[in-house]
Amino acid sequence: MNDKIAAYAHPEVLVDTDWLAAHLEDPSVRVIESNEDILLYDTGHIPGAVHIDWRRDLNDATIRDYVDEDGFAVLCSRHGITPDTNVVFYGDKSNWWACYAFWVFQLFGHDQARVLDGGRAKWEVEGRTMTREKPAYAPSDYPRPARRRDDEIRAFQDQTLAHMRAGGPMVDVRSPGEFSGEITHMPEYPQEGVLRGGHIPGAVSCPWARAAQEDGTFKPVEQLRGIYQGELGLGEDDDIIAYCRIGERSSHTWFVLKYLLGYNRVRNYDGSWTEWGNMVRTPIERTAG
Amino acid sequence: MSRYPAALDEIIELFEMLSEEERRELLISYADAAVRHEPAGDEVFDLEDVRKDEECTDTVGVFLRVDEADGDRVEFRISLGSKVQTLTRAMTAILCKGLNGTRAGAVLDVPADFVPRIVGAELVRLRSQTVYYVLGRMKAAVKVYLNRRRAAAAG
Repeated sequence: MNDKIAAYAHPEVLVDTDWLAAHLEDPSVRVIESNEDILLYDTGHIPGAVHIDWRRDLNDATIRDYVDEDGFAVLCSRHGITPDTNVVFYGDKSNWWACYAFWVFQLFGHDQARVLDGGRAKWEVEGRTMTREKPAYAPSDYPRPARRRDDEIRAFQDQTLAHMRAGGPMVDVRSPGEFSGEITHMPEYPQEGVLRGGHIPGAVSCPWARAAQEDGTFKPVEQLRGIYQGELGLGEDDDIIAYCRIGERSSHTWFVLKYLLGYNRVRNYDGSWTEWGNMVRTPIERTAG
Repeated sequence: MSRYPAALDEIIELFEMLSEEERRELLISYADAAVRHEPAGDEVFDLEDVRKDEECTDTVGVFLRVDEADGDRVEFRISLGSKVQTLTRAMTAILCKGLNGTRAGAVLDVPADFVPRIVGAELVRLRSQTVYYVLGRMKAAVKVYLNRRRAAAAG
């Protein structure tokens, strides 16, 4: 474990590329790639890695929700994962979808989970081995989780509305243009049917990228403290909700607050702006003209 | 008679015969081949449209040459930024191969309903914004070229 990772509140949830390279043959480790680019895994991946797609594998196909307990058990079984397997997530886009998948695994209480610092880009830049060979693992017997922990790390719209009315801290991790209401989607991304631009009243803007370095790794803990404690004034025991557009960028910030800084009560509002911005009679704030 | 240019029709028929796994493998092969359809430095085009749109994660350049002496047959070259997604790369190579040599007017008439037959219903459902982008850009380039030519002829 490098010094930067050792300094985080929960260093056990982050691994560097050296660690992963040394554990590729470790049968207790399962490497999982999760990307925005749905075919990127097929073009080459870390040897032994399996692919989990956020929409196909983690989302329910007919309800805007995640798979249920049975679905999660089936997914893990398919990839030979047991409750004791150390799953290590990595992916494109500075690990947005890796953090999202990590968060979903936490919904089901799979505690043996880690994220590869720097994700796919860092592994590639370092010239490490990639392969197109897809691994085949014997199906495992993954027991159905007793429950999905929505109440602990996930915020629904009605809870977020109550939180807003109570003046609770909320972090909007989208781009400044999305926060102000100038645009309703990420720069360079398609409009996805949001009727209004703006943010949840009372939310503060802190784009997810502020937690990342140029190479996609997380910033050192002192810098993260300077942003979230120093600038935003968030305390370790504050009840914090993070949101973005559909919950992927806020998974990144949720990971930073909960594991790298050790905040105790952080929830990801995965409905995010695509729900809030369209909800009838739900207030918004705008700072753009 | 097929509503698609013959070369595109062949590609569609090939994809439709494949299993999901084979379909993905062929898409990756096409994505790898996209670089072959980039413009060479000394090529001259009738229209160059290089831009970064909100529908795509990086810059895409469409370069069009139209051979008026040969019945308005088109030749496309397409440049892709490094962050362009794999599916877009694959569609670029497929469409260059499938549409090059087609008459300009016929490009505009190509219906987009072949896309799910190539990439499969699942990928369309999962990434619907990505799969139609390049076709739209190629048609737009042809339309602009024809409009300009029409305006020049009228002027």
